[in-house]
Amino acid sequence: MTLLKEFTKGFIKENPVFVMALGLCPTLAVTSSVVNAIGMGLAATFVLVFSNIFISLIKNFIPPKIRIPAFIVVIASFVTIVDMVMNAYLPAIHKSLGLFIPLIVVNCIILGRAEAFASKNNLIRSILDGLGMGLGFTLALVVIGGIREVLGAGQFLGYNLFPETFQPMLVAILAPGAFIVMGLLMGLMNLKKKKN
Amino acid sequence: MKYYFKLGFVLFIITAIASGVLAYMNTITQPIIEENQRVAQEKARKEVLPSAITFEEVAGDPSYYIGKNAEENIVGYTFVASLYGYSSDVQTMVGVNPDLVIVKIKIVSQAETPGLGANCEKLEFQTQFSGMQKDRMLVDKDGGTIVSLTGATITTRTITNSIKTAMDKLDIPTEKTDGRIE
Repeated sequence: MTLLKEFTKGFIKENPVFVMALGLCPTLAVTSSVVNAIGMGLAATFVLVFSNIFISLIKNFIPPKIRIPAFIVVIASFVTIVDMVMNAYLPAIHKSLGLFIPLIVVNCIILGRAEAFASKNNLIRSILDGLGMGLGFTLALVVIGGIREVLGAGQFLGYNLFPETFQPMLVAILAPGAFIVMGLLMGLMNLKKKKN
Repeated sequence: MKYYFKLGFVLFIITAIASGVLAYMNTITQPIIEENQRVAQEKARKEVLPSAITFEEVAGDPSYYIGKNAEENIVGYTFVASLYGYSSDVQTMVGVNPDLVIVKIKIVSQAETPGLGANCEKLEFQTQFSGMQKDRMLVDKDGGTIVSLTGATITTRTITNSIKTAMDKLDIPTEKTDGRIE
Protein backbone atom coordinates (compact mmCIF):
# COMPACT_ATOMS: atom_id res chain seq x y z
CA MET A 1 0.00 0.00 0.00
CA THR A 2 1.42 3.41 -0.90
CA LEU A 3 2.10 5.95 1.83
CA LEU A 4 -0.61 8.28 0.57
CA LYS A 5 -3.20 5.52 0.74
CA GLU A 6 -2.06 4.75 4.29
CA PHE A 7 -2.98 8.32 5.17
CA THR A 8 -6.27 8.66 3.28
CA LYS A 9 -7.78 5.27 4.04
CA GLY A 10 -9.09 6.58 7.40
CA PHE A 11 -11.23 9.27 5.76
CA ILE A 12 -13.77 7.15 3.93
CA LYS A 13 -12.67 3.64 2.99
CA GLU A 14 -11.81 2.56 6.54
CA ASN A 15 -13.47 5.39 8.44
CA PRO A 16 -13.28 4.42 12.12
CA VAL A 17 -16.84 5.48 12.91
CA PHE A 18 -18.88 4.77 9.79
CA VAL A 19 -17.09 1.70 8.47
CA MET A 20 -15.30 0.06 11.41
CA ALA A 21 -17.90 1.22 13.99
CA LEU A 22 -15.19 1.98 16.56
CA GLY A 23 -15.28 4.69 19.23
CA LEU A 24 -19.03 5.02 19.11
CA CYS A 25 -19.45 6.06 22.73
CA PRO A 26 -17.68 9.44 22.37
CA THR A 27 -19.20 9.78 18.90
CA LEU A 28 -22.70 9.63 20.32
CA ALA A 29 -21.96 11.64 23.44
CA VAL A 30 -20.00 14.69 22.33
CA THR A 31 -21.50 15.47 18.93
CA SER A 32 -24.20 17.80 20.26
CA SER A 33 -22.23 20.72 18.84
CA VAL A 34 -19.55 21.22 16.20
CA VAL A 35 -17.11 22.82 18.64
CA ASN A 36 -17.25 19.78 20.93
CA ALA A 37 -16.84 17.50 17.92
CA ILE A 38 -13.72 19.32 16.73
CA GLY A 39 -12.25 19.40 20.25
CA MET A 40 -12.84 15.71 20.81
CA GLY A 41 -11.64 14.76 17.33
CA LEU A 42 -8.39 16.69 17.58
CA ALA A 43 -7.69 15.46 21.12
CA ALA A 44 -8.15 11.87 19.94
CA THR A 45 -6.00 12.54 16.86
CA PHE A 46 -3.16 13.83 19.03
CA VAL A 47 -3.30 10.77 21.27
CA LEU A 48 -3.56 8.47 18.26
CA VAL A 49 -0.54 9.94 16.45
CA PHE A 50 1.72 10.00 19.49
CA SER A 51 0.76 6.59 20.82
CA ASN A 52 1.29 5.18 17.31
CA ILE A 53 4.73 6.81 17.15
CA PHE A 54 5.79 5.43 20.52
CA ILE A 55 4.38 1.99 20.07
CA SER A 56 5.98 1.71 16.65
CA LEU A 57 9.34 2.72 18.18
CA ILE A 58 9.25 0.37 21.16
CA LYS A 59 7.47 -2.56 19.50
CA ASN A 60 10.66 -4.63 19.34
CA PHE A 61 11.43 -4.23 23.04
CA ILE A 62 8.04 -5.26 24.35
CA PRO A 63 7.54 -8.98 24.97
CA PRO A 64 4.28 -10.06 23.27
CA LYS A 65 2.83 -11.29 26.59
CA ILE A 66 2.66 -7.82 28.10
CA ARG A 67 2.02 -5.77 24.99
CA ILE A 68 -1.56 -4.78 25.95
CA PRO A 69 -0.68 -3.32 29.40
CA ALA A 70 2.33 -1.61 27.84
CA PHE A 71 0.16 -0.06 25.10
CA ILE A 72 -2.39 1.08 27.65
CA VAL A 73 0.26 2.80 29.77
CA VAL A 74 1.53 4.66 26.69
CA ILE A 75 -1.99 5.65 25.62
CA ALA A 76 -3.06 6.66 29.13
CA SER A 77 0.02 8.87 29.48
CA PHE A 78 -0.80 10.79 26.31
CA VAL A 79 -4.45 11.10 27.29
CA THR A 80 -3.46 12.54 30.65
CA ILE A 81 -1.16 15.02 28.91
CA VAL A 82 -4.00 16.10 26.61
CA ASP A 83 -6.33 16.36 29.60
CA MET A 84 -3.94 18.61 31.53
CA VAL A 85 -2.96 20.78 28.56
CA MET A 86 -6.58 21.31 27.51
CA ASN A 87 -7.57 22.14 31.06
CA ALA A 88 -4.80 24.73 31.20
CA TYR A 89 -5.11 26.34 27.78
CA LEU A 90 -8.64 25.56 26.52
CA PRO A 91 -10.71 25.51 29.72
CA ALA A 92 -14.03 26.17 27.95
CA ILE A 93 -13.83 23.16 25.61
CA HIS A 94 -12.34 21.05 28.39
CA LYS A 95 -15.33 21.84 30.57
CA SER A 96 -17.92 20.97 27.94
CA LEU A 97 -16.20 17.70 26.99
CA GLY A 98 -15.89 16.83 30.65
CA LEU A 99 -15.40 13.16 31.41
CA PHE A 100 -14.96 12.20 27.76
CA ILE A 101 -11.36 13.43 27.62
CA PRO A 102 -10.04 10.94 30.22
CA LEU A 103 -12.24 8.32 28.55
CA ILE A 104 -10.16 8.58 25.35
CA VAL A 105 -8.00 5.96 27.11
CA VAL A 106 -10.64 3.33 26.47
CA ASN A 107 -11.52 4.58 22.99
CA CYS A 108 -11.15 1.41 20.97
CA ILE A 109 -9.88 3.26 17.89
CA ILE A 110 -6.63 4.04 19.67
CA LEU A 111 -5.94 0.63 21.19
CA GLY A 112 -7.19 -0.89 17.94
CA ARG A 113 -4.68 1.01 15.80
CA ALA A 114 -1.89 0.32 18.29
CA GLU A 115 -2.57 -3.41 18.23
CA ALA A 116 -3.51 -3.84 14.59
CA PHE A 117 -1.18 -1.36 12.95
CA ALA A 118 1.53 0.43 14.94
CA SER A 119 2.87 -2.74 16.56
CA LYS A 120 3.44 -4.25 13.11
CA ASN A 121 4.51 -1.32 10.93
CA ASN A 122 7.37 1.15 10.76
CA LEU A 123 7.42 4.68 12.11
CA ILE A 124 6.41 6.63 8.98
CA ARG A 125 3.47 4.37 8.20
CA SER A 126 2.33 4.45 11.83
CA ILE A 127 2.35 8.25 11.90
CA LEU A 128 0.36 8.45 8.64
CA ASP A 129 -2.06 5.81 9.87
CA GLY A 130 -2.60 7.63 13.18
CA LEU A 131 -3.05 10.99 11.47
CA GLY A 132 -5.44 9.62 8.84
CA MET A 133 -7.54 7.65 11.33
CA GLY A 134 -7.65 10.59 13.73
CA LEU A 135 -8.74 13.01 11.03
CA GLY A 136 -11.28 10.47 9.75
CA PHE A 137 -12.68 10.25 13.28
CA THR A 138 -12.75 14.06 13.50
CA LEU A 139 -14.49 14.27 10.12
CA ALA A 140 -17.17 11.81 11.23
CA LEU A 141 -17.72 13.71 14.50
CA VAL A 142 -17.95 17.08 12.72
CA VAL A 143 -20.46 15.77 10.15
CA ILE A 144 -22.68 14.26 12.86
CA GLY A 145 -22.20 17.28 15.14
CA GLY A 146 -22.99 19.69 12.30
CA ILE A 147 -26.24 17.96 11.39
CA ARG A 148 -27.31 17.72 15.04
CA GLU A 149 -26.42 21.31 15.88
CA VAL A 150 -28.19 22.77 12.82
CA LEU A 151 -31.34 20.68 13.36
CA GLY A 152 -31.40 20.66 17.14
CA ALA A 153 -30.28 24.16 18.04
CA GLY A 154 -30.61 26.10 14.77
CA GLN A 155 -26.96 27.05 15.06
CA PHE A 156 -23.65 26.26 13.42
CA LEU A 157 -20.46 26.76 15.46
CA GLY A 158 -22.62 28.76 17.86
CA TYR A 159 -23.95 31.22 15.26
CA ASN A 160 -27.70 31.47 14.80
CA LEU A 161 -28.70 30.39 11.30
CA PHE A 162 -32.40 31.02 11.42
CA PRO A 163 -34.71 33.89 12.50
CA GLU A 164 -35.93 33.95 16.11
CA THR A 165 -39.22 32.26 15.18
CA PHE A 166 -37.43 29.02 14.14
CA GLN A 167 -38.35 26.16 16.44
CA PRO A 168 -35.37 23.76 16.56
CA MET A 169 -35.95 20.01 16.42
CA LEU A 170 -34.93 19.34 19.99
CA VAL A 171 -34.66 15.57 19.61
CA ALA A 172 -31.65 15.97 17.30
CA ILE A 173 -29.51 17.38 20.10
CA LEU A 174 -30.61 14.78 22.67
CA ALA A 175 -29.27 11.22 22.85
CA PRO A 176 -31.83 9.63 20.46
CA GLY A 177 -30.87 12.19 17.80
CA ALA A 178 -27.28 10.99 17.95
CA PHE A 179 -28.33 7.42 17.21
CA ILE A 180 -30.70 8.44 14.40
CA VAL A 181 -28.20 10.74 12.64
CA MET A 182 -25.36 8.24 12.96
CA GLY A 183 -27.55 5.37 11.76
CA LEU A 184 -28.70 7.29 8.69
CA LEU A 185 -25.12 8.28 7.80
CA MET A 186 -23.90 4.68 8.20
CA GLY A 187 -26.75 3.54 5.98
CA LEU A 188 -25.78 6.09 3.33
CA MET A 189 -22.16 4.91 3.43
CA ASN A 190 -23.28 1.29 2.98
CA LEU A 191 -25.58 2.22 0.13
CA LYS A 192 -22.73 3.99 -1.64
CA LYS A 193 -20.44 1.02 -1.10
CA LYS A 194 -22.99 -1.40 -2.53
CA LYS A 195 -23.42 0.70 -5.68
CA ASN A 196 -19.68 0.70 -6.39
CA MET B 1 11.48 -17.63 36.05
CA LYS B 2 13.99 -15.30 34.48
CA TYR B 3 11.47 -14.60 31.72
CA TYR B 4 8.89 -13.32 34.18
CA PHE B 5 11.41 -11.01 35.82
CA LYS B 6 12.07 -9.60 32.39
CA LEU B 7 8.36 -8.97 31.83
CA GLY B 8 8.06 -7.13 35.12
CA PHE B 9 11.19 -5.14 34.42
CA VAL B 10 10.01 -3.98 30.99
CA LEU B 11 6.66 -2.88 32.41
CA PHE B 12 8.46 -1.15 35.26
CA ILE B 13 10.64 0.84 32.84
CA ILE B 14 7.62 1.89 30.76
CA THR B 15 5.56 3.01 33.75
CA ALA B 16 8.53 4.77 35.35
CA ILE B 17 9.17 6.82 32.21
CA ALA B 18 5.45 7.56 31.84
CA SER B 19 5.06 8.78 35.41
CA GLY B 20 8.19 10.92 35.10
CA VAL B 21 6.83 12.64 31.98
CA LEU B 22 3.41 13.12 33.58
CA ALA B 23 4.88 14.56 36.77
CA TYR B 24 6.82 17.08 34.72
CA MET B 25 3.73 18.04 32.65
CA ASN B 26 1.77 18.43 35.86
CA THR B 27 4.22 20.95 37.29
CA ILE B 28 3.79 23.04 34.14
CA THR B 29 0.01 22.91 33.82
CA GLN B 30 -1.09 22.85 37.47
CA PRO B 31 -0.38 26.54 38.22
CA ILE B 32 -2.11 27.61 34.99
CA ILE B 33 -5.19 25.53 35.78
CA GLU B 34 -5.42 26.98 39.28
CA GLU B 35 -4.93 30.49 37.96
CA ASN B 36 -7.68 29.93 35.36
CA GLN B 37 -10.11 28.80 38.04
CA ARG B 38 -9.24 31.75 40.26
CA VAL B 39 -9.72 34.23 37.39
CA ALA B 40 -13.03 32.61 36.39
CA GLN B 41 -14.32 32.82 39.98
CA GLU B 42 -13.12 36.40 40.31
CA LYS B 43 -14.84 37.33 37.04
CA ALA B 44 -18.10 35.67 38.11
CA ARG B 45 -17.97 37.54 41.44
CA LYS B 46 -17.49 40.88 39.67
CA GLU B 47 -20.38 40.05 37.38
CA VAL B 48 -22.91 39.30 40.12
CA LEU B 49 -21.85 42.23 42.29
CA PRO B 50 -20.72 44.93 39.84
CA SER B 51 -20.50 47.71 42.44
CA ALA B 52 -17.77 45.94 44.42
CA ILE B 53 -14.12 46.63 43.69
CA THR B 54 -12.44 44.26 46.13
CA PHE B 55 -13.56 40.98 47.59
CA GLU B 56 -12.65 39.53 50.94
CA GLU B 57 -13.05 35.85 51.61
CA VAL B 58 -14.80 34.72 54.77
CA ALA B 59 -14.04 31.12 55.60
CA GLY B 60 -16.91 28.84 56.53
CA ASP B 61 -19.04 26.10 55.11
CA PRO B 62 -19.79 27.27 52.53
CA SER B 63 -17.46 30.23 52.45
CA TYR B 64 -18.60 33.57 51.09
CA TYR B 65 -17.02 36.81 49.96
CA ILE B 66 -17.62 40.35 51.21
CA GLY B 67 -17.70 42.84 48.37
CA LYS B 68 -16.36 46.31 49.12
CA ASN B 69 -16.33 49.44 46.98
CA ALA B 70 -13.51 51.95 46.57
CA GLU B 71 -14.38 53.62 49.90
CA GLU B 72 -14.07 50.28 51.71
CA ASN B 73 -17.83 50.18 52.36
CA ILE B 74 -19.59 46.85 52.21
CA VAL B 75 -21.77 46.77 49.11
CA GLY B 76 -22.83 43.14 49.31
CA TYR B 77 -21.86 39.50 49.48
CA THR B 78 -21.27 36.76 46.96
CA PHE B 79 -21.48 33.01 47.41
CA VAL B 80 -21.82 29.86 45.34
CA ALA B 81 -25.05 27.89 45.66
CA SER B 82 -24.83 24.29 44.57
CA LEU B 83 -27.38 21.48 44.33
CA TYR B 84 -27.89 18.39 42.20
CA GLY B 85 -30.42 19.12 39.46
CA TYR B 86 -31.77 16.81 36.78
CA SER B 87 -28.45 15.38 35.56
CA SER B 88 -25.66 17.39 37.16
CA ASP B 89 -24.54 19.60 39.98
CA VAL B 90 -25.80 23.07 39.19
CA GLN B 91 -23.56 25.76 40.63
CA THR B 92 -24.80 29.30 40.80
CA MET B 93 -22.78 32.35 41.77
CA VAL B 94 -25.08 34.70 43.67
CA GLY B 95 -24.52 38.34 44.52
CA VAL B 96 -26.68 39.93 47.24
CA ASN B 97 -26.72 43.44 48.67
CA PRO B 98 -26.33 44.00 52.44
CA ASP B 99 -30.12 43.51 52.89
CA LEU B 100 -29.77 40.08 51.26
CA VAL B 101 -31.71 41.12 48.17
CA ILE B 102 -30.32 39.37 45.10
CA VAL B 103 -28.39 41.69 42.82
CA LYS B 104 -27.64 39.15 40.14
CA ILE B 105 -27.05 35.44 39.69
CA LYS B 106 -24.87 33.57 37.24
CA ILE B 107 -24.86 29.85 36.54
CA VAL B 108 -21.17 28.95 36.69
CA SER B 109 -21.34 25.21 36.12
CA GLN B 110 -24.04 22.83 34.90
CA ALA B 111 -24.51 19.85 32.60
CA GLU B 112 -28.29 19.68 32.37
CA THR B 113 -30.17 18.45 29.30
CA PRO B 114 -29.09 20.49 26.26
CA GLY B 115 -31.99 22.54 24.89
CA LEU B 116 -34.03 22.18 28.09
CA GLY B 117 -32.32 22.53 31.46
CA ALA B 118 -29.17 23.93 29.89
CA ASN B 119 -31.21 27.00 28.95
CA CYS B 120 -30.69 28.13 32.54
CA GLU B 121 -27.50 29.72 31.25
CA LYS B 122 -29.57 32.16 29.20
CA LEU B 123 -29.66 35.75 30.40
CA GLU B 124 -33.49 36.04 30.35
CA PHE B 125 -33.71 33.26 32.91
CA GLN B 126 -31.03 34.56 35.22
CA THR B 127 -32.18 38.20 35.28
CA GLN B 128 -35.56 37.31 36.78
CA PHE B 129 -33.82 36.51 40.06
CA SER B 130 -32.50 40.06 40.38
CA GLY B 131 -34.24 42.04 43.11
CA MET B 132 -35.67 38.96 44.82
CA GLN B 133 -35.57 38.16 48.49
CA LYS B 134 -35.30 34.73 49.99
CA ASP B 135 -38.87 34.33 51.23
CA ARG B 136 -40.40 35.56 47.95
CA MET B 137 -38.40 33.18 45.80
CA LEU B 138 -40.74 30.49 44.49
CA VAL B 139 -41.11 28.77 41.12
CA ASP B 140 -44.37 29.48 39.26
CA LYS B 141 -45.47 25.83 39.52
CA ASP B 142 -45.33 26.27 43.30
CA GLY B 143 -47.26 29.53 43.20
CA GLY B 144 -44.30 31.88 42.92
CA THR B 145 -43.14 34.32 40.29
CA ILE B 146 -40.06 32.63 38.86
CA VAL B 147 -40.95 31.52 35.35
CA SER B 148 -39.66 27.98 34.99
CA LEU B 149 -37.75 26.86 31.93
CA THR B 150 -39.82 25.00 29.37
CA GLY B 151 -39.55 21.29 30.12
CA ALA B 152 -37.08 21.84 32.94
CA THR B 153 -39.03 22.54 36.10
CA ILE B 154 -36.59 20.38 38.05
CA THR B 155 -33.63 22.52 37.01
CA THR B 156 -35.53 25.71 37.81
CA ARG B 157 -36.53 24.40 41.25
CA THR B 158 -32.98 23.22 41.90
CA ILE B 159 -31.51 26.64 41.25
CA THR B 160 -34.17 28.39 43.34
CA ASN B 161 -33.81 25.96 46.23
CA SER B 162 -30.02 25.93 46.11
CA ILE B 163 -29.95 29.72 46.52
CA LYS B 164 -32.43 29.52 49.38
CA THR B 165 -30.52 26.77 51.19
CA ALA B 166 -27.23 28.54 50.70
CA MET B 167 -28.69 31.74 52.15
CA ASP B 168 -29.98 29.80 55.16
CA LYS B 169 -26.61 28.17 55.73
CA LEU B 170 -24.58 31.33 55.31
CA ASP B 171 -23.67 33.16 58.42
CA ILE B 172 -23.80 36.63 56.92
CA PRO B 173 -23.91 39.34 59.58
CA THR B 174 -27.23 41.08 58.94
CA GLU B 175 -26.60 44.43 60.61
CA LYS B 176 -27.43 47.30 58.30
CA THR B 177 -24.64 49.47 56.95
CA ASP B 178 -26.19 52.75 58.13
CA GLY B 179 -27.99 53.67 54.96
CA ARG B 180 -25.02 53.49 52.66
CA ILE B 181 -26.55 50.59 50.80
CA GLU B 182 -26.26 51.07 47.09
